[in-house]
Amino acid sequence: MNARSFTDRDIHLALDGELPEDERAAYQMWLEANPDMKAKSLRYAADNAALRNLFVGVLEEPVPSRLEAAVNGDGPKRKEAAQWWRMAAAATLLIAGGLAGYLAGANGIGFGSDDDDRMAELAIAAHQTFAADKNRPVEVDGSDQAYLTGWLSKRTGLTLVAPDLTKNGFELLGGRLVPANGTTAALMLYADAEGNRISVYVTTEGTERSKGTYTLASGGPEAVYWQDKGYGCAIVGTLPPEQMGVVAKDAYKQLLAGAGLT
Amino acid sequence: MRSAVMDEKKAAILQEIPRLRRYARALLRDRDSADDLVQDSLERALVRMDNWRTGESPRRWLFTIMHHLFIDQMRKVSRRGEASILPLDASEALATPATQAESVASREIVDALQQISPDRRAALVMVAIEGFSYAEAATMLGVPAGTLMSRIARGREELRGLLDDQARRRAIRIVEK
Repeated sequence: MNARSFTDRDIHLALDGELPEDERAAYQMWLEANPDMKAKSLRYAADNAALRNLFVGVLEEPVPSRLEAAVNGDGPKRKEAAQWWRMAAAATLLIAGGLAGYLAGANGIGFGSDDDDRMAELAIAAHQTFAADKNRPVEVDGSDQAYLTGWLSKRTGLTLVAPDLTKNGFELLGGRLVPANGTTAALMLYADAEGNRISVYVTTEGTERSKGTYTLASGGPEAVYWQDKGYGCAIVGTLPPEQMGVVAKDAYKQLLAGAGLT
Repeated sequence: MRSAVMDEKKAAILQEIPRLRRYARALLRDRDSADDLVQDSLERALVRMDNWRTGESPRRWLFTIMHHLFIDQMRKVSRRGEASILPLDASEALATPATQAESVASREIVDALQQISPDRRAALVMVAIEGFSYAEAATMLGVPAGTLMSRIARGREELRGLLDDQARRRAIRIVEK
């Protein structure tokens, strides 16, 4: 590693303690030889110190009792009025589903989070099992979409379409049936030119309106899911969050339109 | 002795609250919104307790949960064009009584931090303020190491540009006086 040349990326690595020990001396020499880079490094170091100083006081603040109560399970659950992100979700539901849906969601009957988790976990398990299979990820390939969706619809009891995700760079590989929580779910797999795979999992499971994202605590792919009474879908993959959001939303919209739910 | 394990887990989670609050505050600035985010993260964590392997610090698990809630909401907000429900506006933040005297310089840097994109902000805060390694931060944010690296680099550049703009504006105001 003697002749390694440095770039301004190394300034970040050095600042964040990520520069390997044996490169530090050479990095220092590079800085000394490049006043511009040295100035940049000092500036970033100063900004960094300022950032760190901003919130030191927070660690010393007494913990609000509502947060302790949330952990001990004896606090008032889900105080909707204060939870702006839930309000935003509820408002979306209101538009989509009328007042009843809104009230059911906003009264915090639990937001069905256990059911959401269950569906998302199943979708992730299906994705991990089949998307990882290089040679035989699907039972029926995507060349005859009408046959594929007809078969999946018949077996799941849903009106299914295979979302067209080509404008997101994903082509349909095909689909298969997978077990759901006591029923049968449809799994449709897609791949992009780089070989990234995402799956679309659709089931008749679903109790309450909800949506969200879910990742196992151990990491791995992310599931973006929506569910409603008698309908649930999850889009699973390992993409950057923004891209995942865009693709998932596109797939979901097409699924809804295909099922005549919009 | 399921409940003894549960109590131990809850105690470990309680210890992380100050760190979670700091992360949330850096992400959202507004104290109440930040604590709401912490509360929601804790509630979500409690129903998913099984996902946390015992014997490990719950810190990364909790940060991951919080990050997902944060990004989720930022997505919903931007989709619906309702950034106004977030206390991002500098003038609004100025109206919030500061617990400690906020210097002009620190106010400026908080403003700047709120202006950089949520993804970059989260990456920068995790590494620069919370002191996580790149590998830890990448795992929690669910992005490849290279993506994390470029979010940090771009985040810092963006922050520097914003601070320079503010300094210029301040200089102009002083000249105008």
